[in-house]
Amino acid sequence: MNDIVVRCEKVDKTYQQEAVPVHALRGVDFELRAGEFVSLSGPSGSGKSTLLNIVGGLDRPDAGEVTIDGVDLSTLNENKLTALRLMKIGFVFQAYNLIPVLSAQENVEFILQLQGVGAGERRDRAESVLASLGLKEMCHRQPGELSGGQQQRVAIARAIVTNPVLLLADEPTANLDSTTTEELLTLLKNLNESRNMTIVTATHDPIVMSYTTRQVHLRDGAVALDPKAA
Amino acid sequence: MSIKLLFQLSIRNILRHRRRNLMLFSAIAVAVAGVSSANTLIRGMQYDMLNSAVENLTGHIKIHAPGYRDDPNIDKGFSLEDGFTLPVEPEEMLGWAARIRIPAVIMSERETRGVQIVGIDPASEHISFLSDVPIDGEGLTDSKDGRILIGKELALQLETRIGRRIVIITQGIDGKNREKGYRIVGTYDAEGKTLEKIYVFTGLASLQSLLDSRDVTEVSIRLHEEPKKPSIKDMLSEVFGNLAVLDWQELEPMAAAMYLFADSAIYIWFLLMMSALIFGLINTLITSVMERVRELGLVRALGMPKRMVVTQVVLESTIIMAIGVLIGLVAGYLIYLSIADGINLDAFAEGMEMMTMSTRFIPVLVWDDFVLVAVLSLVLGVMASIYPAWRAVRVKPLDAIGR
Repeated sequence: MNDIVVRCEKVDKTYQQEAVPVHALRGVDFELRAGEFVSLSGPSGSGKSTLLNIVGGLDRPDAGEVTIDGVDLSTLNENKLTALRLMKIGFVFQAYNLIPVLSAQENVEFILQLQGVGAGERRDRAESVLASLGLKEMCHRQPGELSGGQQQRVAIARAIVTNPVLLLADEPTANLDSTTTEELLTLLKNLNESRNMTIVTATHDPIVMSYTTRQVHLRDGAVALDPKAA
Repeated sequence: MSIKLLFQLSIRNILRHRRRNLMLFSAIAVAVAGVSSANTLIRGMQYDMLNSAVENLTGHIKIHAPGYRDDPNIDKGFSLEDGFTLPVEPEEMLGWAARIRIPAVIMSERETRGVQIVGIDPASEHISFLSDVPIDGEGLTDSKDGRILIGKELALQLETRIGRRIVIITQGIDGKNREKGYRIVGTYDAEGKTLEKIYVFTGLASLQSLLDSRDVTEVSIRLHEEPKKPSIKDMLSEVFGNLAVLDWQELEPMAAAMYLFADSAIYIWFLLMMSALIFGLINTLITSVMERVRELGLVRALGMPKRMVVTQVVLESTIIMAIGVLIGLVAGYLIYLSIADGINLDAFAEGMEMMTMSTRFIPVLVWDDFVLVAVLSLVLGVMASIYPAWRAVRVKPLDAIGR
């Protein structure tokens, strides 16, 4: 089906931790359709971040097949994988991860610059996204001058400004207080509903799960519960 | 690739660590100022050696009869036709002079010395040191002048003075000794005492008359520009096929070797100074990269290609070097201006003379040397960034962003 954004088939991943093999993923099958807002949950070490990293092209599986928007990631070399991340995927990390020497607006424009978007269009799009996330007045502030919640919103603005096929968020609320968490989750839900944006978030926070439309639970590197699969 | 973005990131990263980079700019500036000002001194020494070698009766090019250099006597002379003109365009040469230069014995009432007697036409000697040196008494008036001009130092050795008579004994064209009394018309004060002790001058026609010969032993040519020398020398070699046409490097091999060494010294000095500096630059860049592992991982995760990461590190290094070099070149130029009038080296007069150099050391600014220092520094800056850039692209996005 052509509305499948992510497909994982029998994905295995093993890490060596001090010479001891750790099976992070064991034969994971997972499909994600356009417009879904999915949470990957599970205890620490269950494999949710590993699965998110593999889906995001930041890591490669030892076995199995991963396709993003119809592209088999195993066929891509590192440069092509980097290009795929740039063009198709938006990332929101737990620790905000803004570029500290760039202002909020420059951080958002950064991705567009990498994509080769012209200066005028770049500025318009960045301003528009920042304004839509309530950051109009913060455009020219450096990351160090923003609160945690504001930084995370800038990170979301950076992730969505390119209209990616897929938005991946790895515990995006882990460092935020409850009020800011609620604001951020509302924001993600609105993005999902208004733009039909496909979002996957790794979390073990029940509040985050309550905002998603599908909750996939992982345990010991395998999908323990997936309402879709059921 | 967005060069504007990379410039923006590089400049911001440099500004981020102002104090550290200020120290680095200072170190680069001091090294570049040192190298560029030292280059003006080296060039000064080089040009002084060239001028000394060329002015000391050698010229840029000299024509001799074969065998003259092994046995410099009038029988190794050659004749020039009446009204002879040298086949070199006037705009290409400062002038030329025909001379006789042969060994002789000079005797005063008290002392005897071995010298070189040089028969000259004073009108042609604007190409040699004789035109510059101060003369006590009078100079020679023309080619027929039968008086003698000697060096001050020789006058001291012979315990004689202006107006006194001395006797010259030398060998004529027939191989027999000729002897003639000369009145000392003046004493010259050359840059080095060696010249004053060796050369005595009289009129060319007068000396020819003493030697019973119409020959000369040399034609010395002074050019406007050294680089034109090879082509003119080749042309003269063809014209004077039976004579030896030699340039100053062949006639003064020691000075020529020193001249060449000065070219190498500029590179050696540059490499010594900049090599020490470059390790500091590499160290700073590596520190900068290691401090930014997370950021580098982040930009890679977001989709920045490896080549852009490499370019960014190289650009940072190049910008740091360019700023340091610019400051250094300005400082080097100011140092040059402060010593442009020359440095007095009278205290080392004997040593300077041995190196065929004058005792007033005038630095020479060659803009090409400044350009060379700038270009080589930037090349070194790029080279210094290779290892840090390699470290930067080895950063794995996944490892870095998890930090």
